[in-house]
Parts: sequence; C-alpha cells; structure tokens
Amino acid sequence: MQDQKQGLPSGKPLFSDNSEIASWYQTPDQAFDEVFLNPGESKPHWRYFVDSMNRAGLTQFADRQRKAQDILRDDGATYNRTENPLQTSTWSLDPFPYLLGSEEWTRLEAAMVERSQLMNLILKDIYGDRELIRRGIVPAEVIYGHPGFLRQCQGVSLPGENQLLMHAMNMVRGLDGEFTVVGDRTQAPTGSGYALENRRVLSRVLPDMFRDSNVHRLSHYFYRLRQTLTSLGRRLNPNPRVVVLTTGANSSSHFEQAYLSNYLGYSLVQGTDLTVRNGRVWLKALGGLQQVDVILRRVDDVYCDQVELSSGGRGGVPGLLEVVREGNVIVANPLGSGILETPALLKFLPQIAQHFLGHDLAVKSVESWWCGDTDDYAYVTHNLSNLIIKPAVRRDNSRSIYGRELTEEQKAQLLVRIARNPHLYVAQSYLKASHSPTWQQGKIVSCPTIIRTFTVSNLDSYFAMPGGLARVTKQHAAQEYVDTRHEVKSKDIWVLSDAPETYFSLIDEHQDILTDIDLQNNLPSRVIENLFWMGRYSERAETVIRLLRTVFHQLQDSDPLPEASRDVLLKALSVQTGSLPGFCAEGNAAIKNADAELISLIIDGNRPGSVKANINSMLNCSEEVREMLSADTRKIVNDLRDDMGRLEKLFAKGMPTAPQEALDDIVTSLLALSGLNHESMMRGIDWRFQAIGRRVERAIQTATLLQSTLTEGLSAYDMQRVLESVLLSVEALISFRRRYRTRYDVYYGLDLLMLDETNPRSLFYQIDALNKHTMRLPRSTTSARAMSHELKVLSKSLADMQLSDLHELSGLSEKTNRREKLDELMQTLIHQLEQYTGFISDKYFDHMTKPHQIFSPNWELEA
Amino acid sequence: MKYRVRHLTEYQYAAPVTLCYNIAHLLPRNTDRQRIKSTRISVSPTPAYQRSRRDYFGNTSFYFSVQEPHEKLVIDVSSDIEVSRSNVVGALDTSPTCRDSIALLKRSERPEYIEIKEFQLSSPMIKKSKELADFGWPLFAADKPLLRAAMDLTTKIFDEFTFDPTSTTVATPLAEVIENKRGVCQDFAHFQVGVLRSLGFPARYVSGYIETLPPPGQERLVGADASHAWVSLFIPELGWVDFDPTNNSMPDDQHIITAWGRDYSDITPLQGVIFDGGDSQSLSVSVDVARRSEQ
Repeated sequence: MQDQKQGLPSGKPLFSDNSEIASWYQTPDQAFDEVFLNPGESKPHWRYFVDSMNRAGLTQFADRQRKAQDILRDDGATYNRTENPLQTSTWSLDPFPYLLGSEEWTRLEAAMVERSQLMNLILKDIYGDRELIRRGIVPAEVIYGHPGFLRQCQGVSLPGENQLLMHAMNMVRGLDGEFTVVGDRTQAPTGSGYALENRRVLSRVLPDMFRDSNVHRLSHYFYRLRQTLTSLGRRLNPNPRVVVLTTGANSSSHFEQAYLSNYLGYSLVQGTDLTVRNGRVWLKALGGLQQVDVILRRVDDVYCDQVELSSGGRGGVPGLLEVVREGNVIVANPLGSGILETPALLKFLPQIAQHFLGHDLAVKSVESWWCGDTDDYAYVTHNLSNLIIKPAVRRDNSRSIYGRELTEEQKAQLLVRIARNPHLYVAQSYLKASHSPTWQQGKIVSCPTIIRTFTVSNLDSYFAMPGGLARVTKQHAAQEYVDTRHEVKSKDIWVLSDAPETYFSLIDEHQDILTDIDLQNNLPSRVIENLFWMGRYSERAETVIRLLRTVFHQLQDSDPLPEASRDVLLKALSVQTGSLPGFCAEGNAAIKNADAELISLIIDGNRPGSVKANINSMLNCSEEVREMLSADTRKIVNDLRDDMGRLEKLFAKGMPTAPQEALDDIVTSLLALSGLNHESMMRGIDWRFQAIGRRVERAIQTATLLQSTLTEGLSAYDMQRVLESVLLSVEALISFRRRYRTRYDVYYGLDLLMLDETNPRSLFYQIDALNKHTMRLPRSTTSARAMSHELKVLSKSLADMQLSDLHELSGLSEKTNRREKLDELMQTLIHQLEQYTGFISDKYFDHMTKPHQIFSPNWELEA
Repeated sequence: MKYRVRHLTEYQYAAPVTLCYNIAHLLPRNTDRQRIKSTRISVSPTPAYQRSRRDYFGNTSFYFSVQEPHEKLVIDVSSDIEVSRSNVVGALDTSPTCRDSIALLKRSERPEYIEIKEFQLSSPMIKKSKELADFGWPLFAADKPLLRAAMDLTTKIFDEFTFDPTSTTVATPLAEVIENKRGVCQDFAHFQVGVLRSLGFPARYVSGYIETLPPPGQERLVGADASHAWVSLFIPELGWVDFDPTNNSMPDDQHIITAWGRDYSDITPLQGVIFDGGDSQSLSVSVDVARRSEQ
C-alpha cells in the first residue's frame, strides 16, 4: 500500500475520472488515504459510498451539507460557548462520514477494549498498592509530581472490577495503515454526545446512503452506559436516581451535556443543585431534597469537592468525596481518574502492559519522551524541532507546542521553562495522520484526520462504541498532522456491517415509569428559577420593544405629536426600562437629543433594562435550562439571537430610516415564543413557573405603564395622543375604538387596561391568572387550610382593583393636577406584586449562598 | 515521657453558619517513638455526621459536618501520649555522608526508597528552587555526615531568621518568607523542607506540640502552649530524623507529633467550607501540654 502511494504524483484527481467531483479531490502526499487504493479505485468498504457520491453530484452534496448545518443550528449544537450569549459557534459537521470496514473494526474494537482494561489496572494500582512505582516501572515523579494524583482518593473504590467506567482514545492512522493512540481521556470524556448528534444529523441528510451502508448503531453504547450506571446505583437504591453533573451553561460542551442527559433520561444538574447532608448526596428539587445515587460527572475531579479538593470554584459539591468514600454515592468516572490522562504515561505503557498483561498492546501509543528522565530530557533539548511538546498536566486550556514552528528565541524560552520543571513536560513525535475527504467551501479537500473512540465499562470488561468522532483540520491538505488549534470539523464514524443490524430495543424493563411527582422531584430548583426568569425577561423585553415601536410610530406620525405627549411617552420609556434618569433627567437634556438615548435603550447591553440586556438575560436563562426546551423553542431562541444581532448592527450606525419596522422581527420571535409556550408545552410544573414569570412581569409592566403615562393632567388632545399610544403599545387600540369610538378618556382607558377580565393584557387578567397558577403550585402539607402569603397578596390586589372607583381614579386632583388616586393604586399593586415574587422565591427557589473555604492555600503546581 | 495534651479550637462567626464540612488533623498519630494511650475529640454543636480515619500519610483525620445554624464552633481534643527518647540525638556523626546518602537514595531499588521520592518533589506550598539550594549548599559538604549537615542547617535558620508572629499568615508563600527571613515555626519548617528538597533530600513537614517549661521559679501557665511544626529528613540507613529550626534542636521526647505530610496543606489542622457566617470570623486556639507523672 505504501509503495503505491509513494508512486503517486501529488495533485492528481482521485474520484472517478469523468466525474465532476474528481477535479476537486487532491491526493495527499505521503499520507495514508482513507478512501482510495489508487486513483479511481476506492477501497472496498468505500465503494458504495463513492459511487453514490458520484451519482448524486457536487451540487446535491452542497445542499445536503447546508441542510446538515441548518439542523445543527436549530438543535443549538454548539461548542466553545462564550460568555456572550449573542456569540455562539455552531458545532461543525462534515457531510462525509469516516468509514470503518467490519474486519478492521473487529481488530480495532478488541484493541480498544484491551487498552481500557489496562488503563483500569493502572488506575487501581495508582490508588492502591502503587506497584508500578514500587517496581520502578513508572517513575515516582510521574504520579507523585502530578496534581491530578488525588491522595485523598487513596483506597477509595467502586464495587466490581472496573474502576474506570468510561474511556476515550484519540487515534491517528499512520502511513502503514495502523492506528496509533496519541492521547487518552479518562476524566469526563467529551464527544460521545456529539457523535450521537452527528449521527442523527447525517442519517437525516444522507438517508439512503446511511440505510444501505448497514451502519452499526451507536445506541448500544449508551444502553451499556445506562446499564452500568443503573447496576452500580442499585446497590444503593432499587430505583437509583442518576444525575449528570455539569459545570453549567458556560461550559464549552454544554450542548453535549444537555443533549446526553436528555437522551439518557437523567437530570442535568450543577454543583449548587446538589447538597451533602447526613452522609448522602441530595438534589435540591422543587419537591424537597431527593437522594442522588449516581453522578455522571462532566466536571473535572479536582473541582468536584471544595472541602477536600481544589478550591477553584467550578461547580463542585462540598463534601462529595466523603460520601463517595463511604460508598453512598457512585461517581463516574471515579474521582482521581484524571491522572490517567497524563501524556507522560504513554512512554511507559509498553512496560506497564508487559507487567500487567504479559504482552504488548495491540494498538501502540505515539512515541513519547518524558522530560523528567535525564536521557529523554537530553533528547528533547536536541530535537525540539521534530517534536510536539505537551504539558504533563492536562488542563482545559492546555495547548500543545509545535517545535517546528518556533523561532530560535521561542525555543530557548521553552527550554528554560522545561528546565525549571522537567517532569511536567512530555514530547511526542509528529505523526502523519491519514487523510479523508472533507467538504470545504464548496470543494472536496483531503484533510488530515484524527479519530476519538469510546469505551464503557460492561460488567467485568469493556464495550466499544461502534462509531465515534472523527475530526479534521480545516486547512490546506499539505499539513500532515491534525492541529486542533485551527478550526476543526467533526465527522461521523460509520462502522459498517456485512448485514443490516437486527433491531434491538433500548427500553430498560426494570425502570419504573415516572409520575408527575417524580418529575417534580427530579427538577432542580435552579431550573425552575431560570424558567421563571426566562418568562420574566422575555415579557420585559417585549413590553419595552412594543413601547419603543409605539414611540417611533408616534414620532413619525403625519399628525405631529404634541410636545407634552411626547415628553410623557419618552419619560415612560425611561421608567419602564428602569434606566433612570434618562428622559426624566432635569432640564430635558436627553429629550432634546432623543435619538441617542433611544438607540442606547435598544443596543446598549451594559444598560440594565435595555432591549439587548433583556434579550441577553433571557438567552442566558434559556441556556441554563436548555435541556428543558423543545426543538421548536430552541429554534426560536436561535432566531431571537439572530434578530438581536441584526438589530445591533442596524442601530449601531445611527437611527435607521424605519426604526419601527426594524423592531418587528424581534417582536414576532418573542410572540412565537410565548405562543409555543402556550400551545405546545405540557402543563407541568416547569410550564407553570414560566407562566408565572410572564404574568407577574406583565402585571408589573402594565401597572408601571399606567402609572407613568396616565397620572399626569394634560389637555384633552395631548391626553388623547398619550392614551392612543398606550393602547397601541399593548395592542388594544382597535378594541378600544370599537368599543368607545373616539372617546379617548382615561376612564375608558382604565376600564379596558385595568379591569377588563376579557382583555389578556389587562392588569386584572394577569393577577387573576397568577392566582389560578399559584393555587396549583405544590404546597407544604403543614398549611393545607390556611391561605398562603402569596395567595393573600394576590387576593388583596384583585380586591383593590375591584373595589376601586373608576371615576375617582380618572379624576384629577385640583391641587396637583394629577390623578393621585390612580398613582396610589398602581403603587400599591406594584408593591404587592413585588411582595408576591418575594414569597414565591423564598418558597420555591434555592437560597443557599456560596461556600467559603476556611483555609485555601495556592494548590496549583506551576507548569 | 507521658503527656496529656489538650487542644481547644474555637471559631466565632459574625453571623450564623448554616452548614459546614470540616476535616481536622488534630488527633495525634502513633509513630515509632510515640504511643497514643487515649484520645478524644468532641465538637460542638454536635455534628450530624462524623468519621475518623487514616489518611494517605497514615495520619488520623477527623471528618465532621455540622448541619444546624451556629455562631460558634468548638473542637476540643485531649489525648494521653507516651513518647520515648530518640537514639539519634547527640550522635551526629553516625550517619552516612551527604555524598553517600545521595548515592544510596539514587541507586537503591528498595521499594521504600522509591516511595520516599514523594518527599523529594515540590509540593503545593513548597516549590524547590536554586535559591533554596544555595542557602544550604555550603553546609552540605560531600564528606560531612548528613545528620550533622542537617543540624547545621537547622542552626543557620535559627540564627538568620527572626521569629515574628505578626509577619505571616497560614497562607504566606514561601518566597515571601525567604525574602523577609521572618515568620513562625510553620514558615521555618517550610523553608527548611524546601532547602533539603532543593538539595535532593527527602524531607517532610511535621506538625505537633512541644512541651514548654516555665522560667525557673514560675508556675506553668495552663493553655499557654501552642501547636508547633518542624521537619523530618530521610537519611539512608537511619530512617526519618526530626529537626526543629524554631528551637535549634533535634526533637526528642519533648516533641509530640500530630501528623506529617508534604507541607502544611496536607495536614491543615482544620480545613473545609462553611456556608454563610457573615464576612468575618475569629479563631482562638488554646493548647496545653502537661507532663504526667511517671508511674
């Protein structure tokens, strides 16, 4: 194979000679080609796919690629999310799968299982007898000098043989066609969820090819994972509660964490959702504390427990390790397993394999040098250009250093760093990765490829996921190694079978069906709180945008808006957004230059109350609860993000010509969101809290609007224009005209906007709805008869409105020329609504503060 | 020698702490020269959960969690301990030379020697450095017995450093101690461990108590003692030998060991987290080391 390849001139087309596609695909130089034996002749397991490709043609393929990206975007599949909710990077999937033939897979599968078994033995040894160190097979520094060696975990073990429950391996295929492992992931391996999403997308955009290729299903892997976790958990509880511990919405792989927890049917929790009491771990759920039996962690072990491990506050559960030690909770992967990721181990694996297994590993590891060894150190200093330098301690932000790209000065600096702590550096040789076809800006390009494969503990052995994640670097094909610093695309790995796979059900007969109460008990209070705020922020954003739209409309109306009316409306805007003084400032300075202030109220994200700030907050809440959102909801959330982006661009250049129309899209998206909420969400507790958030926000906003626009005494015409604007902004102008014709009187305005229980935007309607929702919230059993505080305050608000006299409310005080009674009533209602939210928050949300460490030295070893 | 040690720790918080999880390294351990006859720990308020166990280094660690609101946390430990005399003290020339010690440590394949490597490396609070090595280098001549060299280092630290409880806290970095040459026993111990490790010798940090005798003619003051810290050096053929840079001495039967580790962070007397408790807390510690009459 090697000879054939080397004989090829570079740049020669490879797909069948007369096809359109042929002209794009370039032969890789001196690298293993995944697809072709020689020009025009694909490998047997690729034949079907290449033929289908050629039949389909480039244009159709381009469509499919676009469709794939659309689905990913709609799913909200992201990676590397940043703090800014308006900036996300959609997970990138290449439409070409990476194919593995069935024979090849059989060999690879066995090798993966073997490697996982060895890693498991190493893990047991490190936290057990440390024979590897005692016998001098692994230098003491490799383990003792690594901050991931958690001495606190000495002797802690899971029931059964397998301590390592999940393992991922990064591999590249060399020129000889053999795979080499370049790294192991044993902490909280990322990627299995992305593999699942890739599969879902690709099987939709390439349905025929997928169906006819007899591809092994990935679900077997997840079935095994669930079985393993359940059987471990059953030792604690016949029906164990399993949760996925995430670092939160800002984790780069948060999409995957949410996706997996949904797929597996587990609650997605953050460290603060859990608490340790009486030697057990509990979920702070709406229905009280619920015992947790198994934690599938996506948090690095050193951050899992602030009591005993690192203080770095990244979402641990204080006291967790002690519960693990006592055997009262299962954590997967076990705490302490991160040390297996050190690339320093790769150098010693052959000897370790000999020691534990008595033979070599079927798949070798990349040639490695550990700088803690004198000879290796000397080699590394003399051969820096031919090596990739990796820190022995893998961290989130740790990067490989590519020796050949360094200037002499940079090399010297690197050597100084290594000399300071040699045992913290490892060198690996460059590997020429195999190439596979990749879609790049309308072309098919051959790119270096790395694959990540997964195993999961399966009683006393391991099960290999038949598939995985391939990654290609989006760059020129001349590069022969995969450099993950550059933009990377993922590929779905198809393990081909000779015959169609028999259907097998993933239903776990032992699992009980969950009742509503169970579901309530599985929901962390944090999720409920975020849903509540998601409702509030979207409502708040909508009110502000509607009012802005009205202001724009009125300012540009053919009948010029009288100054007095204009001032009332602009001031109302400042009050409504809470961004005072704004238009309410003394001397009307802002009013004279209204455009600047109006633009800032739309796009200044640092200004609380602005449209952007509200949308941002809303998006942040939605990220926190993404696993609760339906596919359609996520789509609208994505639209909102895009709408806001466009709005920002448009207004950043100054006031556009049609500002009112510019706001239409975002209003439509917000309406779609509330519509979906209303029409497609199950009336569970999650829905109810979101609805409460919306109602209470709309009630407060409406009361504030009535107070800020209608209390001032104005001339009849000025008042008419103000009332008209208010009605317009709450979509009640048409109803008003139908009912009261042209009688623009505050009296009628209040009748419609405050008291009318048939108007879904009236104040009465909101509070009445709140009352109904609140009555259906779970109540503490002790106060079954007495009316709760939150219901009392609502009842009083309803009565306050019903007992009020519209004549009195709309009448002007002679002394002040203001509607004092109206002002007073609105003030009372706003106050009572705020009391209400306080009661709800106290009763249902979590109020535990952050833990403080009583002693926190600097734990980190410098690297 | 027989002692009764009482170690009382009191935390007073500005506001109630609603929940706390703690690990105490306050219970003394058994060693070659030290027998724990009895030991008792009581925590108030009563913990909802507590466990006592052996930690990675063989020390006794005590884990507890208080789940009721409290403004004051009291940990009361009292132990009866018997300490026997060291046979190394005063025999400074009985050890291998510095050169031979290094060679023995390097060449030996004995498993316990390999494990000792753990104490030759940097640790969370002690980073090896050339500066530290330079401080001790002149004292560790190749032909000098290691034991004598280590004692000379102890004396040099005692002479050059100023004992000053106001200059450092439990989290003061070693670099600062080196710079100012001031500190308390913990800082001196960290410094000496750092010098020894930087020279290639295995050294560990030891916490415990020292019996203090009143000035002649005065009554011993109850509770006026303090917890103490010193170092231990591994010498081939002799094993672990202790040095006390704060007192310029080699611990004998007046030093009582609580725990040892790579540095303070491994054996913090009390570590953990609290929830709430306001923005300030005050800590008061009282230690009493009383000699028991021989029977």
